[in-house]
Amino acid sequence: MYVTRKAVGFIVASGALWMGANAGALANDLSAERVYHLSLAATCANCHGTNGVSVAGNRMPKINELTHDQIAQMLRQYKSGEKTGTIMPQLAKGYTEEQIDIIAKVLGHN
Amino acid sequence: MNRRLFLGQSAALFGTSVGINKLALASSTTKAQVVIVGAGYGGATAAKYIRMLSNNSIAVTLIEPNADFISCPLSNLVVGGEEKIGALTTSYNGLPDKYGVNMIKDMVTAVDTGKKTVTTAGGNTVAYDKLILAPGITMNMASIEGLAQANADGVTLQAWKAGPETVALHQQIADMPDGGIVALTIPLAPYRCPPGPYERTCQIANYLKNNKPKSKIVVFDSNDDVTSKGKLFKQAWADMYEGYIDYRPAHKVVAVDGKTRTLKFEFEDDFKADVLNVIPTMGAGSLVVDSGIANMNNRWAEVDFLNFESTQAKDVHVIGDSIQVAPGMPKSGHMANQHAKVAAAAIVAELNDFPVNPQPVVTNTCYSFVNDRDVVHVASVHQYNPEQKTFLSVKGAGGLSPEPSQIEGIYAWGWAKNIWFDTVG
Repeated sequence: MYVTRKAVGFIVASGALWMGANAGALANDLSAERVYHLSLAATCANCHGTNGVSVAGNRMPKINELTHDQIAQMLRQYKSGEKTGTIMPQLAKGYTEEQIDIIAKVLGHN
Repeated sequence: MNRRLFLGQSAALFGTSVGINKLALASSTTKAQVVIVGAGYGGATAAKYIRMLSNNSIAVTLIEPNADFISCPLSNLVVGGEEKIGALTTSYNGLPDKYGVNMIKDMVTAVDTGKKTVTTAGGNTVAYDKLILAPGITMNMASIEGLAQANADGVTLQAWKAGPETVALHQQIADMPDGGIVALTIPLAPYRCPPGPYERTCQIANYLKNNKPKSKIVVFDSNDDVTSKGKLFKQAWADMYEGYIDYRPAHKVVAVDGKTRTLKFEFEDDFKADVLNVIPTMGAGSLVVDSGIANMNNRWAEVDFLNFESTQAKDVHVIGDSIQVAPGMPKSGHMANQHAKVAAAAIVAELNDFPVNPQPVVTNTCYSFVNDRDVVHVASVHQYNPEQKTFLSVKGAGGLSPEPSQIEGIYAWGWAKNIWFDTVG
């Protein structure tokens, strides 16, 4: 697929805003990507807390303390079966590669 | 994945992005109004996420008759005496205080889809641009002869909507003499929370084993077999509760005699018990039915799964247990929360003239306690399929626990605390 420099530029800039402010980046401008990305990452919030921030004293793994790369790597390891666990190996197998990248970008930090 | 390809697809999906808040510019004097009926796992989550995803640019009014959020998940622990209802209760205060949701404590009694208003029992009329109906389920008391009266008299309890009946059911079991019989009846699927009745069986058996060892629970299931986590539940019953559980599949209750505490069946002999937990069949919340939106056999509401808009009424969205589910999609609190996020994102997009995400994904996770600490789960992932226009369970994803475990009990409480916060916090 051909991607114009302008389109890439916009999305990269938009992504940088997200990364800089981590998941709590709600002061950012409203855009289609932002609504999509936040709502996709919100599929994780049921177990891991809103924006990946777990309720205090909770023993659920704290994914917001991980980097983008760590989250993406862990999800791929769960998806491939390389990493074992209770629920995550079963859930990670249901997400696409693109979805994993977006989730990692939203919930992880730099 | 190739990053350029990913970026290109993302750009293609959404076209030119708008880096400014169009809505705020377009309606600087009047915000778009979303009205949500019902503040359970679905409605409350939708309220919070519409505010979050729109940068608070959309006004949200949430109408709910109950004072607090009481979780159905984990409420079987209250039935079995391991927890108090207060441990499952969360204030709604976070929604107005932190997210600016306008909460009204009232009951919506009618929807006018032509005028785009809802009317409440308290006499309010509220106008909407978008309406979300999330009223949960209605228990079909009329499906079992004598049940409505018996339940009104407290002779039988459903205790399926967590609250006073949950507490009362535990009290009835606690007050029962040792040697007594608890009868639990299970409706034909689909009903809210497929594994719920079998978890309840475990919790009641656990209580009897520890407190009234001459007693037992007899389970009459309208279904031909355990409908969820069957192997795991049956193994737990055999390993932990031998002699305490009498499970009878394919038993359909047709009548209740409240005076003699007797269940009557389609084919089998009458059965008398000390405690009667009769759970009838269920359908969409009565508001959905009465509004003509339950267009699937007058029982469930069919929706467009891209935005959860009713196929019956424009700008009316239905989420949670009231919908006609996609194949393999359970009616659960977790799932209602996931519906809410898809609907919230779509509504924020539509009100901003953004394209709606063409390929949403939802997950389900459900934990069941087989005793006071050990838990089994079932999980699934459902990706939207554009050709079939529905969510389909992803093959190879999801699954069950291999066996009950304490670590899953810890995760179950972690899940609960986090989803309650995600829903109403």
